[in-house]
Amino acid sequence: MLSRIAESLFWLARYIERAEGTARILDVNYHMLLEQSQQSYHLRWEPLIIMAGEEDRFRKLYDEVNAENVFEFLAFSQANPSSVVECISKARENARTIRDRISREMWEDINGLYHAVTRFVPQEEIAAGPHRFCDTIKFGAHRFHGVTDATMPHDEGWEFLRVGWSLERAEMTARLVDVQYHNLLDGPPAADALDNHQWMAVLRSVGAYEAYHREYHPPIEPEKVAEMLILHHQHPHSIRFSAAEVQGGLRAISGSGRGSYANEAERLAGRLVDRLSYDKIGEIFKQGLHGYLNDLVQMCGAIGDDIARTYFYYAVVA
Amino acid sequence: MGAIQPPTVNRGLFEGYDTGNFYDEMFAAPGQPRSQYTKLFQKLATMAAGQFEERRKLADLSFLIQGITFTVYSDGRGTERLFPFDLIPRILPHSEWERIDRGLSQRVMALNLFLQDVYGAQNIFKDQRIPRSLVYSCPHFRREMIGVEVPRGIHTHICGIDLVRDSKTGEFCVLEDNVRTPSGVSYVLENRIVMTRTFPDAFQACEVLPVNHYPAELSRILRSLSPRGEDDAQIVLLTPGIYNSAYFEHSFLAQQMGIELVEGRDLIVDGGIVYMKTIRGLKRVDVIYRRVDDEFLDPLTFRADSILGVPGLMGAYRAGSVALANAVGNGVADDKAIYAFVPEFIRYYLGEEPVLRSVDTYICARPDDLAYVLGHLPELVVKAVGESGGYGMLIGPASETKRIDEFRERIRANPRNYIAQPVIPLSRVPSYDATEGSVAGRHVDLRPYCLYDGEKVTIVPGGLTRVALQSGSLVVNSSQGGGSKDTWVLRGEE
Repeated sequence: MLSRIAESLFWLARYIERAEGTARILDVNYHMLLEQSQQSYHLRWEPLIIMAGEEDRFRKLYDEVNAENVFEFLAFSQANPSSVVECISKARENARTIRDRISREMWEDINGLYHAVTRFVPQEEIAAGPHRFCDTIKFGAHRFHGVTDATMPHDEGWEFLRVGWSLERAEMTARLVDVQYHNLLDGPPAADALDNHQWMAVLRSVGAYEAYHREYHPPIEPEKVAEMLILHHQHPHSIRFSAAEVQGGLRAISGSGRGSYANEAERLAGRLVDRLSYDKIGEIFKQGLHGYLNDLVQMCGAIGDDIARTYFYYAVVA
Repeated sequence: MGAIQPPTVNRGLFEGYDTGNFYDEMFAAPGQPRSQYTKLFQKLATMAAGQFEERRKLADLSFLIQGITFTVYSDGRGTERLFPFDLIPRILPHSEWERIDRGLSQRVMALNLFLQDVYGAQNIFKDQRIPRSLVYSCPHFRREMIGVEVPRGIHTHICGIDLVRDSKTGEFCVLEDNVRTPSGVSYVLENRIVMTRTFPDAFQACEVLPVNHYPAELSRILRSLSPRGEDDAQIVLLTPGIYNSAYFEHSFLAQQMGIELVEGRDLIVDGGIVYMKTIRGLKRVDVIYRRVDDEFLDPLTFRADSILGVPGLMGAYRAGSVALANAVGNGVADDKAIYAFVPEFIRYYLGEEPVLRSVDTYICARPDDLAYVLGHLPELVVKAVGESGGYGMLIGPASETKRIDEFRERIRANPRNYIAQPVIPLSRVPSYDATEGSVAGRHVDLRPYCLYDGEKVTIVPGGLTRVALQSGSLVVNSSQGGGSKDTWVLRGEE
């Protein structure tokens, strides 16, 4: 497989995942805040910008942090390279460069999603609330996963997709959890009524609300939510699960067996999985959640860099 | 015009259709379809207007979802557009197609022999059938190709030759040759797929010859060029990338042939061998079906600022370690001034008379012709010799004085760069006008795609019928607002 094609598959998946993650967070946050007091209402939009890592850019474009501006910025803005519409456009662009290598169904699906998304009129959606828009993205992304799974040979190209979206998901979840603690100093926060709503929203944003209730008894406790999102071994949105997927994909590509690694990316992925498999949530809180999550995000970044060095931009020795 | 027909025949969509003063491909006279169209006419005429409109929308949607689009550059950003598709096919009777097939085969062979000769023995100059200066002054003449022996002697693997039917004579003639990187064949194949889905019943009735063997035939020819033998041949299609107007076609053909679609940055030349960069290291490449123009192919040989090409590619090509299709330097054969000499090539190289007529051409490099052209601009079509795609063209009768004067200056400044031809009244085919909701005659041309394997020429029956969808327009290029139609060659005579 051409390096460029592997790279396009990897990024196609990452962009889809990023779009989906952003849409989920927007939707949940918006609907949860409808039930909040005006004062906290405004406070709660700021973390979304921080999570996207786009504070500077946002401040340059807008005077005020409010629902409309944040929604505009994260969903539609062409000035924000990580906005949902930009992500879908880039995903489609990547698909277009490799449309001879993906199934016709996959191409038609992502192309259809692109046309659907670009047909939205930002002002109308902002006025109507984000639900319709976010649903289109969420279901669009789910459908794309399904179509991919059902129509593309599960060959090394498919593994690059798997690595791409798992790595992106691990990072998105880490940022999401981190942001919820943003205003609280390291250490377990107090579970007052307000935060309880907040944590419900977090669970809903990754589709883990029902699963949480099957696993734990009420009330919703921040530490348990964090445990579920970071360390759960089966929920597809947990960081541990996503990291294991990254490792599995990388091993399938290189053919290396258990307990060994063929390149730096695999070594780091293995270390990440091990860490998440044996760490306990109590310890994590003790040493500081923010620092821990920050570490995970850094590791994800390093894995991405090493994948690029190994497969996309290796040095050619003449 | 305006003769009132007896109301006994239900003409449905074609009610009130005006054939005008042009050769109409469908109707011999108002209300009287030509024999090859009889069955289709019956089908369409009995169809309710709403039904037709419904099928048209279905076809459009299918093109959009599949992303069958092309890119236009004039607006700076490179916008994707649908290539408008008209549902009423262009139908050619078998006998007429046979003649076209013979004429094109002959022409492709003569063009190939001319290229072999120009870059080889150069006998045609010694025998004074064409001035050496005219050939050497072509913008696309490549001195780097002199003395290069191309694999199996093939220069013109793929040719798209534009034909038009002259309304005055009712006869097909050759308008121009495209022997560099002709595009459009994917539309022939996709149009057919959409048509068979949209009008399955009409296909059953009419017995249309299939076209879908094109990728297999092209793949066979590419494979035969491999310097390492056919079994191990690694064949790739080199594209300029997604911003190229024909990108859809590149990916389509690569997929259909099961070959790798590569960009310049995927390839690397080391020790005179071309490799592609894969996730498992470098892999040798044997044959490149390149859709990148000569001047961008190799920054070491041609334009140094090209990022589309591969440094060192020409060296590998000249050494014979990699094959290119089409060959480099072909632009000398489809130069619009050289065009006037192609009938002579056919006589000189093949000892045959041309089957298909060419259009009278004034070569502005000749002083007499130049004087005539400058004096008759309002009635002529002027073309820049090295351009294609409908760019750099003046249609005298349709142009304002200011633009004509502008062209006069351009021609005076660089006569070698221009030729002129009389305006050919192109034939028309009924086409659906969505805004009017009715059918009207629109001008068409025909581009068949010819594949040459060194021995024989294979042409998929029909080709791309391009249609000028604007009323009265003669320009059919997609970049200039043209559309296309499916082209049917019938299995037997009606």
